[in-house]
Amino acid sequence: MSIDWITVAAQLANFLVLVWLLKRFLYRPILDGIDAREAEISERMKEAAQTKAKAEAAQSEYHDQLAALHFEQSEMTDEMRHKAEKQRDALLAETHERLEQERADWQAHLEEETRKYTAKLHRAGAGALLALTRKALTDLADESLESRIAHHLCEKIASMKPDLQRAAGDGPEAVIVSHDALSKTAQDEMTAQLGAVFPKASLRFETDADQAPGVIVRIGGAQLSWTVDTYIEGLDALMEEQFAVIPDAKVPSHVH
Amino acid sequence: MTLTPDQIIVFVAWGISVNATVVFTWVVMALLTVASMLITHNLRPDVPPSRWRTTLEVIVLGIQGQIHEITRRPARQLLYFSGTLFLFIATSNLLMVVPGFQPPTASLSTTTALALSVLVAVPLFGIGSRGVVGYLKTYLEPSFVMLPFNVISEFSRGISLAIRLYGNIMSGGVIAAILLSVAPFFFPVIMDVLGLLTGLIQAYIFAILATVYISSATAATKPAQPEEETQ
Repeated sequence: MSIDWITVAAQLANFLVLVWLLKRFLYRPILDGIDAREAEISERMKEAAQTKAKAEAAQSEYHDQLAALHFEQSEMTDEMRHKAEKQRDALLAETHERLEQERADWQAHLEEETRKYTAKLHRAGAGALLALTRKALTDLADESLESRIAHHLCEKIASMKPDLQRAAGDGPEAVIVSHDALSKTAQDEMTAQLGAVFPKASLRFETDADQAPGVIVRIGGAQLSWTVDTYIEGLDALMEEQFAVIPDAKVPSHVH
Repeated sequence: MTLTPDQIIVFVAWGISVNATVVFTWVVMALLTVASMLITHNLRPDVPPSRWRTTLEVIVLGIQGQIHEITRRPARQLLYFSGTLFLFIATSNLLMVVPGFQPPTASLSTTTALALSVLVAVPLFGIGSRGVVGYLKTYLEPSFVMLPFNVISEFSRGISLAIRLYGNIMSGGVIAAILLSVAPFFFPVIMDVLGLLTGLIQAYIFAILATVYISSATAATKPAQPEEETQ
């Protein structure tokens, strides 16, 4: 066992060289590589954290936007619903108004039709009544209807003389209005009768096609008449009674 | 039978005899350097490390961890020194199983050189850490009476380092050679396996003790020294 000091010196030099070589090619590259990798990992983790923060911020922003959109959508839905309801109500009101108008028009039309039908019925009834009366008078008494009416009025004038004179006053003219022209006989009878009651009054005979069949006497403020209207009204009352007995017979079917 | 590779002259250049200790030291140096260069060249932080690089990282980080457990502070320069001690001794001892290889650590000259390097490194690290006065004061602690004892302790530590490593490796090689001549088929293999284990342990002990010595010289307060392992 001996120490070779030359070898010791050589080994010392070798060891120092090895320290330098390993420092150069082993420790520094390895440790620097580890440090670089740790820095890279740290940088990536930092970037990941930043990216995550950005993603979370974006997510939060999107959530806010989504909530705002939902809120806006809800508001728009409510607004549209309100508008639709208002429009529906307006349309319904307009439709109701139109229906009411149509119903009123229809009612007016119905009443007009009823009035026309009633008037026509009146005329037909009056015509029939007059024709029947006239025929009955002609067949049974050989007299005209107007003569009988004039005779009837002359009788009434005689019976109501004081009242007529008081109501007529000093009437200068008496007007006898009839639907058809009176016969000569009837005119003479009425002239004689009215001249007896109102000697100062002049007489004038007129015809009025719109007037109901019959005779009307006007003198001053008094009026005395006989027309078939009273009879027609009696006929109406009778028919009303009959219609009341028969359901749904009041309005003629053709009016609908 | 040669007890030390110093006695084996491999070649003579310019009148200087180059023995096996130096040659095999160069072999170990070349092996470590080339392997390190091959593995660590073109390292990129964004590329996953290869298996070899990972192996080197495990070794370097293991050494760094052991040093940090002793010093409790970052010590990159100490890593270079103690790490090289460990790698050189361990590689030399492990290559003992290669036929024809003479481990340089089986030479008392090599272990003496390594011990001398530790002996020089301790005051250098101490002066670098505490300054010249601060380091020299440590020889007067706890009192100036202890100065000769501290100086003797310093040298004896180096001598013990050198003798321990040399004795272990040399004896392992001698025993293997003796057993090879007595029972050449079975026992040398077992002794070689044990020699590998012993070689690694001795490399660890040498590097750890060197680290402890340097750390105690550089530390502000002396850490508790682990018990020195004996043979």
